[in-house]
Amino acid sequence: MKTRLAGAIVGVVFGFTLCWSGMSDPAVIRAALLLQESYLFLMFVSAFLVAVAGQRLLARAQARALLTEETLTCPRERPGRRHVVGSVVFGVGWAVADACPGPIATQVGQGIPWAVFTMAGVLAGVYLFLRRGAAETEPAADGPRTAPRGGVRKLAGAR
Amino acid sequence: MLDQQLAWYVAGPLLGLCVVACRSLFNGRLGVTGGFSEIVGQVSRGSARLDWRGWFALGLVAGGALFVLLGGGDAFSGGYGWLTETFHGAERAAIPVILLSAGVLIGFGAKSAGGCTSGNGLAGSSLLSPASLAATATFFATAIATSFLIEALI
Repeated sequence: MKTRLAGAIVGVVFGFTLCWSGMSDPAVIRAALLLQESYLFLMFVSAFLVAVAGQRLLARAQARALLTEETLTCPRERPGRRHVVGSVVFGVGWAVADACPGPIATQVGQGIPWAVFTMAGVLAGVYLFLRRGAAETEPAADGPRTAPRGGVRKLAGAR
Repeated sequence: MLDQQLAWYVAGPLLGLCVVACRSLFNGRLGVTGGFSEIVGQVSRGSARLDWRGWFALGLVAGGALFVLLGGGDAFSGGYGWLTETFHGAERAAIPVILLSAGVLIGFGAKSAGGCTSGNGLAGSSLLSPASLAATATFFATAIATSFLIEALI
């Protein structure tokens, strides 16, 4: 219960920030992907650096998750063909719609009518994948459900 | 205030802190595609019981709605990028087809790759997972190349 509530709250913050940063506007994404605007790249790199620094600090300061008492892990995987091929397919779709999954979700919340089609397509794509039963390619969550091939290390080992 | 694009050096760190929060609170890897996958998986099994990933995705939708409720709706163009600029009148019937197809590529591709811009691009790559770094480099390069191709064609 606490975990779900926390997930929802982080989702609201993440989604609100995506909207405020313009990421839910396909025109903004298009300008970035045509290398006309640096905003997306600066934002992305700063998000990446904060996430790296924050998780390194966690590895020193905190052994267990605050809500679930799970040991903090650092799941790392070796790149396989599916990461590259899947990302090519994803990248084409991203550039055609000029929206990726986070902004597609916020567009629906913002009441942008076109987003209904993008969202329907994404859910259909996910459904098609799940129907193929490719259970071994499911690292969307870590924790007990999955054991990535590269191995899950404790976050404290990430330094 | 919401009608001005938030400075990148505020927006980026906020998104990064969301990644850190998921790790710190419940040892989770933040990811939007994972949330969609949870929802699709549970609903197709006839269940509505979602884990935190599903609730995270629902939170995104709520975050978008909250942004509009607080007056942020007019901040950006209101159209749907090159599609609404390129297609007019009856031609706009093409837009749903294109968006549905692009959506299928996004959903299927991101699931195959084990994550999208958030799951691989931010959360996985910030753990320096080689698979996530490879995925991130690949989808950025592909999306940039595809955008230039579309620009050349329209």
